[in-house]
Amino acid sequence: MLSIKNLTASINGTPVLKGIDLEIKAGEIHAIMGPNGSGKSTLGKVLAGHPAYEVTGGEVLFEGRDLFSMAADERARAGLFMGFQHPIEVPGVSNSSFLRLAYNKKAEAEGRDELDPLEFDDFIHEKIKLVAMREEFLDRSLNEGFSGGEKKRNEILQMAVLEPKLAILDELDSGLDIDALRVLGDAVNRLQRPDRALLIITHFPRILETIQPHHVHVLSGGRILKSAGKELALELEERGYDWVLEASAAGGAR
Amino acid sequence: MTSMVVGSNLLVDLLSGPRPAEWASLREAAEGRLEGRDLPTTKDEAWKYTDLKALAAIPFGAAPRATVDISAYLLPEMVGTRQVFVNGHHAPHASCASAVPAGVRFLPLSTASEACHALGTVKNGEVPELFEDLNSARFEDGAVILVPKNLKVALPLHLLFLTKADAPVAVFPRVLVVLEPGAELELVEEHHGEGTYLSCPVVEIRLGEGAILRHERVQRESPEAFHIGTLKAEVGRHAQYHSRTLSFGARFSRQHPWVRLAEGAEGTLDGLALLDDQQVADTHSFMHHAEPNAVSHQLHKCIVDGKARAIFNGQVRVAPGAQGTDAKQQSRNLLLSESARVDTKPQLEIYADDVKCSHGAAVGQLDPEELFYLESRGLNADDARNLLTYGFAADVLQRVPVASVRRALRQLVMARTQAASLGVLA
Repeated sequence: MLSIKNLTASINGTPVLKGIDLEIKAGEIHAIMGPNGSGKSTLGKVLAGHPAYEVTGGEVLFEGRDLFSMAADERARAGLFMGFQHPIEVPGVSNSSFLRLAYNKKAEAEGRDELDPLEFDDFIHEKIKLVAMREEFLDRSLNEGFSGGEKKRNEILQMAVLEPKLAILDELDSGLDIDALRVLGDAVNRLQRPDRALLIITHFPRILETIQPHHVHVLSGGRILKSAGKELALELEERGYDWVLEASAAGGAR
Repeated sequence: MTSMVVGSNLLVDLLSGPRPAEWASLREAAEGRLEGRDLPTTKDEAWKYTDLKALAAIPFGAAPRATVDISAYLLPEMVGTRQVFVNGHHAPHASCASAVPAGVRFLPLSTASEACHALGTVKNGEVPELFEDLNSARFEDGAVILVPKNLKVALPLHLLFLTKADAPVAVFPRVLVVLEPGAELELVEEHHGEGTYLSCPVVEIRLGEGAILRHERVQRESPEAFHIGTLKAEVGRHAQYHSRTLSFGARFSRQHPWVRLAEGAEGTLDGLALLDDQQVADTHSFMHHAEPNAVSHQLHKCIVDGKARAIFNGQVRVAPGAQGTDAKQQSRNLLLSESARVDTKPQLEIYADDVKCSHGAAVGQLDPEELFYLESRGLNADDARNLLTYGFAADVLQRVPVASVRRALRQLVMARTQAASLGVLA
């Protein structure tokens, strides 16, 4: 599904990713963990096509296609989705209209039928149940005045509407209370299928109790220092990140 | 007054016609002040960015009576609460005040002589602007609105000023709004037109203690028109004046809102201007915190495309003794082309010490983070830009309380921002 080879990227001339290798296969759930400032959010943004980052080397194939030959919106229509850590507010544009617009852009790209407002109404009412969102949030302006948790709920609703092949979720747990985290974690699990993949970017292992990864990677200083199974998340919960960083500095963690 | 010495033909032309019969003392005082004056130039600080040469070059005449089909301008909420003025003259057949509640006076000035003593009495403490005096000297008609004590008017009132100019004309709409203590009203004031003309409206507002006025002002003058408007509001103790000025039309427009807040009063002066081509929209506002504990809000937004230009000068004065003042002012501007230009300047004069005053001005392009967010959802770059531009304006429009006005303006903004094809009405 996604194949990252020796990826390097910088922002304003400062290198942030310094050689990332990662293979994600259909049906897999990967978690990227790391201390603040490690470059883990950067990885998500680079994959999604954020304009502030410059890819300086390496190669990324998404479904066999060169990811960097596609603009951000093309990547989205091709089935890549990023759930933002800080989703933006767009006043004056209703949430449901925006969701329909995004849905139809993707449907059009895939040669499927677009939904008119009435058809979309039925469609979206099924989807909001999945994330336990109250109906009034559909009529409100996109993310405007939403709490941190409501914005995250809306991100997962967008994911449910767009049904991406690969979803990158950046710090989904920030701003969420325990109950909301469980609801959204369950929703993400239900959206996961053998032909889809997930990349969870998180600082805290808590979310990985609900969304259980097959592979856990520790990213720091723009490099993946350690990769292992989901037991690594538990170990990080108990011991923090320092031991991985120290072992790596000593040259042995990999 | 034909003997007055002025340098440009504009004032001579405008004042050479016959003086309307009523309101003699108001007119004489205005003419007296106009004597020897001329159009401001860019050497005048208040007109530094706005050159009136193009205005001075046009020979404006008096506006004849005309009949206009107003069906396109009717608002469903206000079919029985409207007064219509065409070319500055009252249009009785187009007006309908059948749904105006008993006790409320909503009349053309020409039939409301009881308002005579009140007209021209809202003073902003300085010599009136030249264009305000021009209005006082030559207005033909306008509206008077009087709401008695404690009456809360349920239906909004609609004031429609239409100008239809086959040859260049000047019109001087005049409005007086008086709310007695505890009264409440919603007012929609619209300016539309066709052809080349100068419209110089003056709106005077006096709010008694605890009165509330919500005032939507829509400027959709013709693309060849000049619109230079004055608004003066005296807001009484614990009264509230909330206005929103939405400017879309006119090749040149200038707004002069002036608000005086008494103790505990609340004032809002919001604005939105959507400009393209060579349009110029200038707002010089004055928020006067004259007494303690008043609150004011100003959010002024401009979207500027083509070679258009927006000017915002927001003066806030906190008088000595006006402790507990809370004044907020925001000027936010979106530049959509390389040749577009914005000049924005907050001007705070604070003579009291226990006050909260905040102001901010931003001029820029669309936020790349916001564009990226929309693109990451599959919208191409153009669609994302158009949607955000629309959202920038819709942010102001969505607070318009009258549904039909809100809808019409949204459609207008969607068309102007090319967001219409996206089909995303909030």
